[in-house]
Amino acid sequence: MSNKIRYISEDHLITRQNRAETEFLAAFAAEKPTFAQPQVVLNPYLINPLCALVMFTTSEALAPTLTVHGRRYERENLSHTFKAATEHFLPVLGLYEDFANTVSIALPDGRTTTLTIRTGKLPAEVCRCLNVQASLDYLGDAIMFLSPAGKNLPTAYDYKGDIRWLLTENTMFDIKRMKNGNIVTGSSRFCHMPYNCTGLIEINLLGKIYKEYRMPGNYHHDHFEMDNGDLLALTQDFSRDTVEDMCVLLDRNTGAIKKTWDYRRVLPMDVGGSGSQDAHDWFHNNAVWYDKGSNSLTLSGRHQDAIINIDYESGALNWIIGDPEGWPQEMVDKYFFTPVGDVANFDWQYEQHACVVCPDGDVMCFDNGQYRAKVKDKYIANRDNFSRGVRYRIDTAKMEIEQVWQYGKERGAEFFSPYICNVEYYGEGHYMIHSGGIGREHGYASPSLGAFLDMKDPKAELRSITVEEKDGIVLYQLETEGNFYRAEKLPLYHGGDNLLLGEGRLLGSLEVTEEFDTVPEAEEVFELPPSFHNLLIEEDEDRFVFHGKFEKGTLAMLCLESGDERHHYFLNTSASWHLAMCSGAFLEKDERDIKIHISKLGLHGMFTVKLIINDRKYQTGVSICCP
Amino acid sequence: MISEINEQEYEALDEKEAKMIEFYSKTCGPCKMLSFVLKDIARQKPEFPIYIVDFDENRELKERLGVKGFPTMLFYKEGREVSRLEGLKQKPAIISAIEALA
Repeated sequence: MSNKIRYISEDHLITRQNRAETEFLAAFAAEKPTFAQPQVVLNPYLINPLCALVMFTTSEALAPTLTVHGRRYERENLSHTFKAATEHFLPVLGLYEDFANTVSIALPDGRTTTLTIRTGKLPAEVCRCLNVQASLDYLGDAIMFLSPAGKNLPTAYDYKGDIRWLLTENTMFDIKRMKNGNIVTGSSRFCHMPYNCTGLIEINLLGKIYKEYRMPGNYHHDHFEMDNGDLLALTQDFSRDTVEDMCVLLDRNTGAIKKTWDYRRVLPMDVGGSGSQDAHDWFHNNAVWYDKGSNSLTLSGRHQDAIINIDYESGALNWIIGDPEGWPQEMVDKYFFTPVGDVANFDWQYEQHACVVCPDGDVMCFDNGQYRAKVKDKYIANRDNFSRGVRYRIDTAKMEIEQVWQYGKERGAEFFSPYICNVEYYGEGHYMIHSGGIGREHGYASPSLGAFLDMKDPKAELRSITVEEKDGIVLYQLETEGNFYRAEKLPLYHGGDNLLLGEGRLLGSLEVTEEFDTVPEAEEVFELPPSFHNLLIEEDEDRFVFHGKFEKGTLAMLCLESGDERHHYFLNTSASWHLAMCSGAFLEKDERDIKIHISKLGLHGMFTVKLIINDRKYQTGVSICCP
Repeated sequence: MISEINEQEYEALDEKEAKMIEFYSKTCGPCKMLSFVLKDIARQKPEFPIYIVDFDENRELKERLGVKGFPTMLFYKEGREVSRLEGLKQKPAIISAIEALA
């Protein structure tokens, strides 16, 4: 086998989308397509194969109505009326896969045009619907969006379980519609293991990225839109020895960090640990919610089995919902609640996700329940456990708590998700409970997280079950293959701008990647590293990612050289075991496969990439350009 | 000054001496990197004693000292552990821990 290093240089997706948009707008300008013969671009922004853009002109400003025809009956038709214009750029959303879709456009003057838009097959690894219980009466024009928890893809399913929206980019974590109708979710760009991506992306449902909000501490798990549009986002400071213990407020226009909350200021790190806690990921903040009434942040910390509330302005701790066992008595007295009401049926939440503050101040969450105890000898095995959605009523004057609703305990281990998941509050008695992290082996709840299951084993299966309940009646249930981080029910079209033309923007900044100031002694050799290492360098506009295979215990260091300038980055070749793996998107099957992201921030010029492996310094033949 | 020691030699160390004990493994990349960091520190602070212990060959000692993984650096003053650093660290963090022993 010859020694070879693979090198891929690709523009950022925003740049590629900008280019694609410029091209189809140029074609539009050149041809001025008519209503009778509109231009159609399938997948105009490159990452949604179930959408198209229809473009045409009219001599006077008219408001067209576009209809994507249902595959079965007229009642399934999806229609949307756009603003009046003379130049029309109509997003076509919700196309069926591998199908000759009928799309019609009607003008107020009575003219109509009917198009056939043919779509292809979706990628083989797409997670399919296995069962769905739903009706058009209940769902209306909404479909269920699921955000991935692994290498699967963001996917949305209609009332029949047909896939009507899919991104071919592995975007991550929370997925929410903003007040302007856009979607904000985690970017697919790897930065730090286990699942930290560069930041958030704001997209429309065609897949066009309007903005990427980069953060030096990266993004993980959750975000929340404030009244003025700014975004709360969960992050960390990689120069510290702990992770997932900070929240920032991002300026929606510039991406600048306007405010930071550091939970190390208000919580002890070595108490109240859940079964998954370690010193590094002591809190594991997986959700944030801003409550205007109390001007406070409610935060879920999986690794302390705790939902905490802090003052928005000062960051001071107000209260903690959780089993008080293992916490210092003075904190129990001051911050914890005492159960009241039907205490016989009261359960605390354990390793929970997705805290939600209801309009009346009640607090909901998805109680994963992993371990379901604070001390090891009381831990509940996954196959004997349950997960549920739960709603607590809290009285902060009396420091009392009452469980006023739950769904899921009665289903036992069949509905058990040891990680991820969410709940939604739609109205009194009307909730969604998404158990998206089900992993089974031999038909039993697996002791491992889904991300770690060997899916080549026919006895292993991953499942995601999303339920909606109203007044105690289940009105919707979707069961799919795979694990999905969150569910979000949305209509495809909204009342705002479903497409804004113009260049997408890369905002904020990545970190300056930490360098290593000691360089091991190594003999420089003028050859490529052995082929075993299977090296790959992926260069992007603002960073590059180095991939390689190394036996455990190998000493490895990446070197960037330009004249006398040197930069060194240590490659950790030790096997690392992550107790939390809320997204396995970046997880490699072979633990010897490692990757490291190097931000270009702080680097200027053309750098030759070299690689120290044990006592030899190899060439790679690759140069990285840092503007 | 860097010296490799085993459990018996650990017992014979001068209790009052300020020192660092590092547990390493031959199968650990970060430990190999740390050996170069410690060499640099030894050049910078030749009078400060650094002892290295093979984690895999001195299991009783590492159990007794509560060392859970490698590399782990224990900093001693007057026979008492003052601080410890777990995992690969850069020179400033280690020098700071050494200087805190003064």
